[in-house]
Amino acid sequence: MTTAVILPKFGFTLESSKLVRWMVSEGDKVREGDPLCEVETDKVNMEVEATADGVVAALQYPAGVDVPVTNVICYILKPGESADGLKNALSQAAQSVSVTTAPSISAIPPQHAVTSTQSAPINASPLALRIAEEHGIDLATVSGTGAGGKITRADVDNAVARQSEKPRATPAARRIAAASSIDLKTVRGSGPKGRIQGTDVAAAAAIGVVQVLAPTPIAVEKPPASDTQLSVLSPQPAASRVVKLEGMRRTIATRMQQSFQQAPHTFFEINVDTAGIDALRAKLKARNEKLSVTSLLVKGCAWALGKHPYLNATLAGDAITLWSTCNIGVAVALDNGLIVPVVHHVETLPLREIQMRIDDVAARARANSLRMNDLADGTFTISNLGMYSIDRFTAIINPPQVAILAVGRAIRQFVPDEHGQPVVQSRMSLTLSTDHRVVDGAQAAQFMADLRVVLEDPMLLVW
Amino acid sequence: MTDAISTLRLEDFHEIIETLGPDELKMMLLKMHTIRLFEERAEQLYSQGRVHGTMHLSIGQEATAVGASTGMIRATGDAGDYLLNHHRGHGHCLAWGSDVNRMMAEFMGKESGYCRGRGGSMHIADIDANNLGANGIVAGGVPIAVGVGLSIKMRQTSQVCLVIFGDGAANEGAFHEAMNMASIWNLPIIFLCENNQYAMSMPYPKAFNIPFVSQRAAGYGLPGETVDGNDVLAVYQAVAAAAERARRGEGASLVESVTYRYKGHSKSDKQAYRTRQEVQDWRDNKDPIDRFNTLLVRAGIISDAEGAAMRDTATQIVDDSVTFSEASADPDIASIMDGVYA
Amino acid sequence: MRELSYAEALREGLRQAMETDARVFAIGEDIGVYGGAFGVTAGLLDQFGGQRVIDTPISEAGIAGACVGAALTGMRPVGEIQFMDFVTLTMEQLVLQAAKVRFMFGGKASVPMVLRMPGGSGTGAAAQHSESLENWFVHVPGLKVVMPSNAYDAKGLLLSAIDDDNPVIFVEHKLLYKTKMDVPEAPYRIPLSQTNIVRAGQHVTVVATSIMVSRALAAADELAKEGIELEIIDPRTLKPLDDTPIIDSVKKTGRALIVHEAVEIGGFGGEIAARIAGSEAFDYLEAPVKRLAGLDIPIPYNRELERNTVPQIESIIVEARKLAQTAY
Repeated sequence: MTTAVILPKFGFTLESSKLVRWMVSEGDKVREGDPLCEVETDKVNMEVEATADGVVAALQYPAGVDVPVTNVICYILKPGESADGLKNALSQAAQSVSVTTAPSISAIPPQHAVTSTQSAPINASPLALRIAEEHGIDLATVSGTGAGGKITRADVDNAVARQSEKPRATPAARRIAAASSIDLKTVRGSGPKGRIQGTDVAAAAAIGVVQVLAPTPIAVEKPPASDTQLSVLSPQPAASRVVKLEGMRRTIATRMQQSFQQAPHTFFEINVDTAGIDALRAKLKARNEKLSVTSLLVKGCAWALGKHPYLNATLAGDAITLWSTCNIGVAVALDNGLIVPVVHHVETLPLREIQMRIDDVAARARANSLRMNDLADGTFTISNLGMYSIDRFTAIINPPQVAILAVGRAIRQFVPDEHGQPVVQSRMSLTLSTDHRVVDGAQAAQFMADLRVVLEDPMLLVW
Repeated sequence: MTDAISTLRLEDFHEIIETLGPDELKMMLLKMHTIRLFEERAEQLYSQGRVHGTMHLSIGQEATAVGASTGMIRATGDAGDYLLNHHRGHGHCLAWGSDVNRMMAEFMGKESGYCRGRGGSMHIADIDANNLGANGIVAGGVPIAVGVGLSIKMRQTSQVCLVIFGDGAANEGAFHEAMNMASIWNLPIIFLCENNQYAMSMPYPKAFNIPFVSQRAAGYGLPGETVDGNDVLAVYQAVAAAAERARRGEGASLVESVTYRYKGHSKSDKQAYRTRQEVQDWRDNKDPIDRFNTLLVRAGIISDAEGAAMRDTATQIVDDSVTFSEASADPDIASIMDGVYA
Repeated sequence: MRELSYAEALREGLRQAMETDARVFAIGEDIGVYGGAFGVTAGLLDQFGGQRVIDTPISEAGIAGACVGAALTGMRPVGEIQFMDFVTLTMEQLVLQAAKVRFMFGGKASVPMVLRMPGGSGTGAAAQHSESLENWFVHVPGLKVVMPSNAYDAKGLLLSAIDDDNPVIFVEHKLLYKTKMDVPEAPYRIPLSQTNIVRAGQHVTVVATSIMVSRALAAADELAKEGIELEIIDPRTLKPLDDTPIIDSVKKTGRALIVHEAVEIGGFGGEIAARIAGSEAFDYLEAPVKRLAGLDIPIPYNRELERNTVPQIESIIVEARKLAQTAY
């Protein structure tokens, strides 16, 4: 049967590789192990090898393009099979990198474990595996009723039947899925009989899980089912442990992947003199009032966003919604991931109110008692890693938003003054990521310019 | 029931003629004609498909309607008596003084009808004239009369409530509850039983084991009287007397007015329960309009010609009402929710 | 402020209405010397005399008809039907006369009457003295239907019902008559058709009527200990119904439970459920809309059987918890 060849993940941090050149063409006969193409990793160029005997078909990407790891790059047909129905990006005019869904890691048969070093093997019968692959069933969503939780053919048959049905989902789930452009079939349901609840979709949509009453574990450690299916080529060191990609971790993985694949990210950095911010904070501290940098950033961003509506926007399908209010999310780190609670209508709130809300929502985030409202309707996100001593970093946009601001720490540096003399300044790096489908460089630059202005002179906030 | 022209004693007759006077008497005859014509015309319109639903015609019962209303005070507000009647009540309404145009318009379901087209034949009311409505439920108005009587006493007016119902109603439980309450509370009510001797198809002798409905009054401690319902002056006499009693504070009375309906119960009645002979006998020998006409001519109140002319006048009145109604507008659908809540 | 019982609050309201408006009078069986079967009218005969506090024979149709006739001609009667069960004997006058007169007569005439009646079970009075028939009247155009759930609401709603120019079916609950709470002495009105949010909560919307309101509150206190917060809504007037607070609440919680004593099938809960499903709230539902109501049986005599026929605090707790935990 048709083999889908994916771009392997050659390293832990590899998100994508550039496809340097193809070494075969459609129609070429190959044997298992033959090189198909050359890709560039962060370290060295690697070759992607054929994983089966057969005829090459449906090359998905042209050379020179960055391909997200684990995406299908081509197919290998067995004798008698045809390429009809296989997606062929090369035959289309579009040069877009975007792919609507990435095949799930766990759909790969374990005998090709060279490409699946990161996940625990799926406990399923070979027949079940084959049927699942034929129908594109993600075995991670199938419960096994066989011995030891093994997924049987019957389980997969059921899943196939369910796949063609409308997903069982509550009205709330459907609403949120529609609003967030999420395909319900990709969401695992926590309700009775696997019904998809609004909270399940919200979790998929908002990088976070809303815990209402019965908290589900966020990360589950399971020992690998057996060692025998692991490939010799990538030996598993005895001391490492395997954590299944599920729950919040999985959600983050899927979200980050989708965002990075679909949105062409462009990055813009400024370094801001924090003298104005520091002075204001000191003044308030003298009155025993606390004002964090994050709160100022939230307010400052709202100020600047007011002048640049295309950065305070969300993209769904081909509709860009320009929001008339600023709902700014503030990334909060949790033990096992991160969550982005939102402060709504920032432009209407005074700094003190923003500070209170951020404190409240961060506390509730850590206490696992956020509500759906807290995560909804964000239009822009700020991620501040200054407290972790990060100088600067780039963040991945939080879809369906079109921009995110990554904040580094304030560093005291020598900079030339107007006479060229060195003076000490405290400067903080802000890096904006924007979705180039919606935001052009000039717009982003102007936004950042305005942001700098207001952060360096916070008095302007009163205007 | 006699074939005589009137059952009144001669001296009563003269007194009544004196009391009412020629104008009133002529008006009474004209009303009877108008009722008859109205009913006949309504029947005609129905068979032509110009009126829908059904109707309960009171042809033959004109004397009860006119005699009773003549015995009451018809005025607006606290100066006028109250009327509650029933599904066979077109005559009662007309006798009470209702506008023929608005009645016909209501028949045709028009906005200009008494009930804005919402009530139809069985529910015509002229609230301003203290006509509290015809009732489609047999004996439906009888307990309501009790409430009206209570209200009159509480407001301390000298009003009286006339509630007209049929022989069939006298067997409903509500009738008995109401008679009893009217009696124990001494209410100013006239219970007028228009006994046309058939409920729907049920003839009186099969439904009652007593010869007169009026006998039931005694069971409740009320005065009861049976009169010839086709003798308009006899009806008038009985009702006026009852109203007098009520106004003097002597409470309620039951007056049974024995009459006959020439037509079936409703439009869908084949009248299998009586003979054509019987109907014809009443028409020929006991017709209330003929009798009153004869009486007035003999008393010199009107001439033969005048008597005949009245029918023409009535015809004109009814014709005009049909013209008026057919020219009137139907209710606006957008107003469909009107009038449910105050 | 002083506490009054539900019965005392009704009495005070009625008394104050009769004191201020000479058109208001009371009529019913055993309401005079006896003071009413549940004591609501005690003392009124002494204060107002037999002309305005009228004892009647056992003639429910007569009572209802008398109310209609008096209301039609300028008075504002407050009739009492001794047990809601006996309202069956007044049906013609209520449904075909009181409800329809205004409409049939083209918007002329009005019937400003109130007919009070105690409904509900729990006193061992068995099948013919324990009915909850309010939904029959909800189904009749032209009537208003009110169900006070506590003493404070009872007085305020009664005064508003008396003021209303329409026929109002005023359904009290036998088990509520002795319940007490603070009731202001001066007359006050709670508008009809104004739904009350009795308790705020973010997890489950509970719509309850009459005695189920206090049972739901008790259930809410228990569930709060488990971190489940119920939002309890009391429509107070079943018809015309102010459903906006209910819809808004379900949009917030995504979960709805309707609790009433009357039999579930054909009961008011179906009306609320359909309104929720047909409204904006539909898109916010996280679970099916649930009803908890009376079993489809006449009220049994045996105490335990009687208890088990209608919702109790325990059953409300179980159902609300299941909804909150997405067991449905």
